[in-house]
Amino acid sequence: MKVHVDGIEVELPAGTSAIDAVFSAGGDVPYFCAHKYLSPLGACRMCLVESGSPRKNPDGSFVMEGEGDAATPKIFWFPKPMASCTMQATEGMHIRTAKTSEVVAKAQAGMMEFTLLNHPLDCPTCDKGGACELQDRAFEYGYGASRFGFDRRHAEKHYPLSDFVILDQERCIHCKRCVRYFEEVPGQEVLDFIERGGHTFIDTEEGGLPTGFSGNITDICPVGALLDNVARFRGRNWEYDHTPTTCTLCPVGCSITVDARNGRLERIVAGENRDVNEAWICDAGRFGHPFASEERLTTPLVRNEDGALIPATWDEAITAINRGLLGLPLADLGLFVGADATLEEGAALAALADALNARHVDHFPRHSVFIAPTATLTDVATADAVVVLGADLGEEAPVLELRILEMLRGGLLPAEFAHGTAIADLRLVERPARRPERLAVIGGESRLWGHAGHRVSANGENALTRLAHPDTDDLKAVRALLDGAERPVLILGADALRGASGSAAALLADLASRTGAKVIAIPAGPNSNGLAALNLVPRTGGLGVDRLGEVPAAFISRLDPGMRAGGFTVVHDTHLTATAQLADVVLPAVTNYEKRGTVQNLEGRLLPLNPAAIQSGEAADLIRTLTALAEALGVKAPARGQRGAQTLLMGSVGVNTATVQVGGALHTFARTFVAPAAPHTPKLWTERMRSRDRDWVERIHDLVEGGWTLPVAPAAPQPGGDD
Amino acid sequence: MSYFAEKQPLVADIFSRYPDSPQGRRSALMPLLREVQDAEGFVSESRMAEIAALCGTTATEVRSVISFYSTYHTLPTGKYHLQVCSTLMCALAGSDELWDHLVETLDVQPGEVSADGRFSVQKVECLGSCGTAPMMQINDDGYYENVGPSKCARILQSLRQDLQPLPDNPVPVTVGADGRQVLATGQAIGSSVTGLHRLPEQAGGEA
Ligand code: SF4
Ligand code: SF4
Ligand code: FES
Ligand code: FES
Repeated sequence: MKVHVDGIEVELPAGTSAIDAVFSAGGDVPYFCAHKYLSPLGACRMCLVESGSPRKNPDGSFVMEGEGDAATPKIFWFPKPMASCTMQATEGMHIRTAKTSEVVAKAQAGMMEFTLLNHPLDCPTCDKGGACELQDRAFEYGYGASRFGFDRRHAEKHYPLSDFVILDQERCIHCKRCVRYFEEVPGQEVLDFIERGGHTFIDTEEGGLPTGFSGNITDICPVGALLDNVARFRGRNWEYDHTPTTCTLCPVGCSITVDARNGRLERIVAGENRDVNEAWICDAGRFGHPFASEERLTTPLVRNEDGALIPATWDEAITAINRGLLGLPLADLGLFVGADATLEEGAALAALADALNARHVDHFPRHSVFIAPTATLTDVATADAVVVLGADLGEEAPVLELRILEMLRGGLLPAEFAHGTAIADLRLVERPARRPERLAVIGGESRLWGHAGHRVSANGENALTRLAHPDTDDLKAVRALLDGAERPVLILGADALRGASGSAAALLADLASRTGAKVIAIPAGPNSNGLAALNLVPRTGGLGVDRLGEVPAAFISRLDPGMRAGGFTVVHDTHLTATAQLADVVLPAVTNYEKRGTVQNLEGRLLPLNPAAIQSGEAADLIRTLTALAEALGVKAPARGQRGAQTLLMGSVGVNTATVQVGGALHTFARTFVAPAAPHTPKLWTERMRSRDRDWVERIHDLVEGGWTLPVAPAAPQPGGDD
Repeated sequence: MSYFAEKQPLVADIFSRYPDSPQGRRSALMPLLREVQDAEGFVSESRMAEIAALCGTTATEVRSVISFYSTYHTLPTGKYHLQVCSTLMCALAGSDELWDHLVETLDVQPGEVSADGRFSVQKVECLGSCGTAPMMQINDDGYYENVGPSKCARILQSLRQDLQPLPDNPVPVTVGADGRQVLATGQAIGSSVTGLHRLPEQAGGEA
């Protein structure tokens, strides 16, 4: 299909919207209500273009214009500008944007003036300022002046929709993105327009927004009406250091951008990764970051003669470790790590374990079986049947839940163009028809339960066996769904994998091959899939982290079992956790927001981590901490830094993580290590992720102690009216 | 306390007018709201939730629909609900002054009911009687037109004695179940008098 945009001819697939035709041709159209992953609806009327198409005579030939050879099909222009987001481009269509059409430029400037009629224009105090679609577009396409000289609408400016999201009703331009988002994406009709015309505002009648995926509306609101309350008033957009990285709170591995200012992590916004999280992240991933800048350990701590942990230098800590471990056979030192460590860190730890001949090696949490993923998240979204066994996705892998809900809407993934994801994919519609009968949930009740057509209450642990040999009508129906589907996907959660053994894996493999189902077994920890490729499980005669108390001495990195090893205990962590409080030496660690490295998500995709500019004193990642530990033990450090760890990884598992691209790449490791594991109940939110209060108190204290006086405005009335 | 629990035949009748599908069920929202509004004078939050459950939607959506129409109320109204047109023509002819006068003398704000339970006030948009501006509608009874200071005083005085003067005009047009438009007097008007045709597949039913 050929379309002409401002005289440039572009070849496009049928069904493309006019707005995407313009962007494909390298042009630009301002838009507010259209959004890549939402249905186009034509609410804001900013995306106006002039358009026209050729017409055919009854005999099928084109109506021509001009004489003889110079004749071309006559273009019949629409009499008025049209909204390009809801108009389909057609063969031979001509489109004129503001670049070539004065009519369009004037119409858009007029629309802008309308949109700004009631806008408070409080950009100087607005968190969106500097990254605001309205601000940018007003600058690019507006008149720069308003003829409206009256009072603007006044409405609630600090209206909390929930603890996390604050609404400024004056700033809202009624694009309806937030309303459509809730209805179309998480399937919760909790926001809507109230009143009409100039009085319209956004509100909910459900007593607040449901936690889960509510924060996404703060990203998609084109203005500063919906704001992230955790990041509110923390900085201006141009002051933040933006670091695109990967969220490692759960094994989905969503793309995020970490915004830091003055060395503090102030905000997290969603990044786009079409293969993983599209443009959405969960509330934990977005709002659960206060821990990264609150009560951090910034220096090593060493226990003194009085039994108190006191700040020390790294050298003192190394001496203390050396002294504490004196006489201990190196092979007796336990090495334990949290399952959100990067692959590089894992490789360094495995190499050190090899060098020490250590037996007590483990990472936590992990399952006692390894089931290699065969389905991708895109497979989930485009499946025609999904069966979820024993999973609480809200705790284990929230965005996987969104991809399942996408499957219920028909799995229409917006098209991709050279300019990125389609801005308006006309196949996406408001209030999409859903197919709940394609989703079966077996296990305990969860948020997904309400969306499922088949619900079977079952004890997760035997769910798989019961599905393989269905014993009730309900289960038989689920089995029939699986058997009848062409692209089924099986998802196993923590309940189904708890205590699972090799026979369960065999049963699953058999079920998958019979039904043609692809499988995702949700890993227990954010990087459990990746770490499984490294020999980080108890070796012959070794003990796991669940029997830490029996291990003679231990080095524990970013794990909080709440107990110490039998003897000398070194803890490497970001905070003074319960375990750290029991330790002999505490080494400060960096969070995953501050690391460079690679993790592997639940579908086997290698994803990169990039370090944000967060202040953490002398904290170090595991690789550097292991060099210190090696020094204390008098052995050669496994790797001196990131490069060295990458080389180690290349040598041990044959993957070059230096080349992992932003969007990540699927990878299957040839070998995986498993061992019996202690049961574990996944929990997404931790106490430290929630509070920012302590932090505020600290800051206010700083201000007061720092002798600041806050300027007070004069009480005299100011000349001039409202505007 | 449920409103519809005891009225299953009515509910069934309302739902029978729409397709038996999730979308169809949502369409029953308007008649259900009208039913509650007529019976109770307003739609309370608990009724919103009840209707939402019946239609398979959320209270947010019900409130959104209610708030779109100025004829649904979420708070109780007085015995005489005065709806003052505040659109341009009436505004030019003094509806602002009329409004201020009503609010002051009756001592009610929108959303309130006067102490004696008689009066509530509401600003509405153009009621299509611009030629007789300023004007107001009382309940669903009819239009009171050219309401200047003295006429306003007369009307209020009669209402205080519960002697509601006859409206200058009935509310112009209502649409009957058969789709025809009639004046309050019952007189058929508009193009529906001659312009309504039964669709072929429905032919045979009574006209
Ligand atoms: S709050 Fe924001 S996203 Fe929602 S309608 Fe208003 S401008 Fe659009
Ligand atoms: S779904 Fe998982 S990876 Fe994605 S934002 Fe939430 S916690 Fe982070
Ligand atoms: S009308 Fe809003 S983007 Fe097209
Ligand atoms: S402006 Fe008041 S009735 Fe039309």
